[in-house]
Amino acid sequence: MRRLARCLFALAAIVSPAAPAAAASRPAAPPEFVDRTLANGLEVTIVADTSLPIVATRVWYHVGAANESPSTRGFAHLFEHLMFSGTATHPKGAWEAHHHRFGGAENAHTSWDETTYESDIPPEGFLPVLAMEADRMVNLRLDAKALDNEKRIVTEELRATIENDPMSRLLEAALKALCGDHPYAVTPLGTKEDIAAATLEQARAFYARYYGPKNAHLVIVGPVDGPATLAEVERHFGPLPARGERPPEVPALASLAFPERIRLHEDLPPAEIAALVYPLPPQDSEDDAALGVMEEILTGAEVDPFREDLVRRRHQALEAGSQVLMLRRGGVLVFYSAVLPYRREEGQFAVMDESMRRLERAEWLTAERLEGAKRKILRGIDGMRYRAADMADALAHDGWWRGDAALAFTRAERVAAVSKADVARVFQRYVAGARPVRVYVQPEKVPVLIRLFGWLAPLVMR
Amino acid sequence: MIAQRVAGLALAGLAAAGLALGAGPARARLSPKRAETWSVDRGTTAVLIEDHRAPLVEVRLMFPIGLWSPWAARVRRLDQAFALSMQDPGGALRARADRLGVEIALTTDARMSVLSLGCRSETLDSALALARDVLANRDLDRGEIARRNFEGDLEWSAAEKDPQSMLRTHVRRLLFVARDPRRTPYERPEHAPGDPRALTLARDTLVRCPGRAIGLAGDVTRARAEAAARALLPAVAPAPPSGATPAPPLLLPADRRPREVSVRLARLTQVYLALAREGPALTDRDYPAFLVADHVLGGHFYSRLYQALRHGEGDTYATGTIREAEPAPGAYAAWTYSRNANAAVAESKLRGVLRAFHDGGITEEERADAAGYLRGRRAFAVQSPGQVLDRMLWDRSRDLPPGYRDALVERAAALPLAEINEFIRRFYDPARFTLIRVETK
Repeated sequence: MRRLARCLFALAAIVSPAAPAAAASRPAAPPEFVDRTLANGLEVTIVADTSLPIVATRVWYHVGAANESPSTRGFAHLFEHLMFSGTATHPKGAWEAHHHRFGGAENAHTSWDETTYESDIPPEGFLPVLAMEADRMVNLRLDAKALDNEKRIVTEELRATIENDPMSRLLEAALKALCGDHPYAVTPLGTKEDIAAATLEQARAFYARYYGPKNAHLVIVGPVDGPATLAEVERHFGPLPARGERPPEVPALASLAFPERIRLHEDLPPAEIAALVYPLPPQDSEDDAALGVMEEILTGAEVDPFREDLVRRRHQALEAGSQVLMLRRGGVLVFYSAVLPYRREEGQFAVMDESMRRLERAEWLTAERLEGAKRKILRGIDGMRYRAADMADALAHDGWWRGDAALAFTRAERVAAVSKADVARVFQRYVAGARPVRVYVQPEKVPVLIRLFGWLAPLVMR
Repeated sequence: MIAQRVAGLALAGLAAAGLALGAGPARARLSPKRAETWSVDRGTTAVLIEDHRAPLVEVRLMFPIGLWSPWAARVRRLDQAFALSMQDPGGALRARADRLGVEIALTTDARMSVLSLGCRSETLDSALALARDVLANRDLDRGEIARRNFEGDLEWSAAEKDPQSMLRTHVRRLLFVARDPRRTPYERPEHAPGDPRALTLARDTLVRCPGRAIGLAGDVTRARAEAAARALLPAVAPAPPSGATPAPPLLLPADRRPREVSVRLARLTQVYLALAREGPALTDRDYPAFLVADHVLGGHFYSRLYQALRHGEGDTYATGTIREAEPAPGAYAAWTYSRNANAAVAESKLRGVLRAFHDGGITEEERADAAGYLRGRRAFAVQSPGQVLDRMLWDRSRDLPPGYRDALVERAAALPLAEINEFIRRFYDPARFTLIRVETK
């Protein structure tokens, strides 16, 4: 049931007020940390740590599904597939074959805000990764046969992950209803019609415009020598032309008029789900650290105060909880509940509103809970020291979403400085003082027995 | 293909250059060889992986009974009996976990139940006290038991609408009898007993079972670990409960399996296909050859299945194999999916890959690549001290010697081509596979 509710809003996490400017000053970098911009505009971050057994390499291109036009939905993702088409020097399959030979892992992902290419490989296989990434950054072979095949493959992916999964169908509908005309309203998989219409000319233009050193961030973490690796980066990436442009900034969602209510139906299990959706600012906001601690207390805890009140104390829902979901230009905090379908929509929102009023008393915000939440966040930060991939992802993420890769190293200090008053302030600003979007989801079919006797469930669960 | 080989040689040269570019002397990396073990009492072993890179400690309390034991089947939902230990009605145990900032989970797999706890090292003593109190909790929340039973029903209702979930279920139904523990995780979940006393009795029997282990990994010294392990668990029982040893039933006989199974779901725009049969046990003498063969068939992005079904003409987005690794025969299947209009083509290609694999075996180049992959992959399993500890406890719960799976990889990588192809001719006989098709109503 939690999966059901979480999936429901995973794609609907897209409502944001205007983003305040970043407040953090540039922190001092640790000695093994290299952070440079090459002459052609490529941002390079290297963390050398000889205790790690794997080298993680990330190339983030700062273009994603939100930068597509209304008639090319799914193109950024389709192009991600084309990036594995090979070059004159490294033919199709060479990238995968190289990783395979060393037991490595390679992958790529397209989100609304970026397209990321990932390599994790034992150190003896690392160096060719740089040569191949530099090569495909500007020398990609694009042809009609590859495009046609990837169009078929991407369409199969869309069928499998959305069309044939009721929960994903629901997500897609919820996203459209919530975000309207905003670029975040369509999933990165796009539409079958737009994928079918994609042309080779579009692919060449997209590649020339967005794929290049000026719109990319290269991150390397692992058992490497920092200066020597930087020299290798210069050797492979330095001669590349200074091409690639940053796409126009995605508009702030706060400027949109959100619906007060959204009602949806889908072929789901016999439970009705209600949600209160509160907009949150982007992660480069001055409230970032305090929001992170609030999120940990409200949504990451064993005792989730909203769920505890609704499910455990008052027995008014089969399941309930809260979850934060973020994209680069903002996110949402969602409070959800699920009941068997016997209560009307207004009744379910009424019991949720009562739980929200209890949350506003802030009994959940104690000094002990604050310290526990900080410890848990710090544990996550310290745990990145074990895995090159986690560290590389955090650096690339902070570089693009927060404006500075080095912020990954000072997050612990910022979290430690958060006070109770800070958490109370952001709760008041983004939850207690805000008006949520109300979302209600009903299953298409409900067995007669559940419709007649579902009201017994709360009694059984006492 | 020639171009690809030339590129491969060039890349190998670059890789060699990369070795020369090395980062100087590496700090000692993690490995099971760095583990220390000692006896706490006659039924409890302690395991320590010391690693001071980060101020973190992972704790594992492992009890050697899982869902495959006939005793677990008798007590009904041993997994819930164990997991509900955290669920006191007032939430005091969970609130303590929140105040300490620890992550705590109680899980049960085929052969063991494990309390996992992660904390910062300064809270280790308080975290261990919490773990002890969780395992002694007799005040289980009745409402939570009922709620989880409801939730299980609803999740099964969702699984019945998911074609990939139904494909996995029907692969198991083909091979295993109704109450076989290898099948039950893929069926509608049984309700846990509503009486908390039955659950706590089962949990208490579990935690006192001899053969248990206390594992600590991370920023903790031997002296601190020894002190922590001494008073952590209740006294060990003189013997395990009757029926504790896993005893999976016999497989359904091959000659009683249908040649084809059709499952119909509403509204599907794709057909989901699997060619299924039983797979070898992890301890089977054929398992090393199976590791290599399975990897070449479906274990990577340029496997035989991917080349035929994705890279050629875009029949699918994904394909692969279902493979299990337990010391008993499990399910094995080659699977894919494709659009409805292309169903016959995809099915024909899936069958064709299997037939060609059986008839022709693998090449020396494929064998060498698979060996390199399997060997290189081991580095991913030793990144954190918790990972190393988890692997050791998993092996221990299966009565396997430490490092068994690493040794298996070495044996697989050293196998000559002829031996692997002889196995492929025996195992991949298309006549031994049943086609399962999940399609639209």
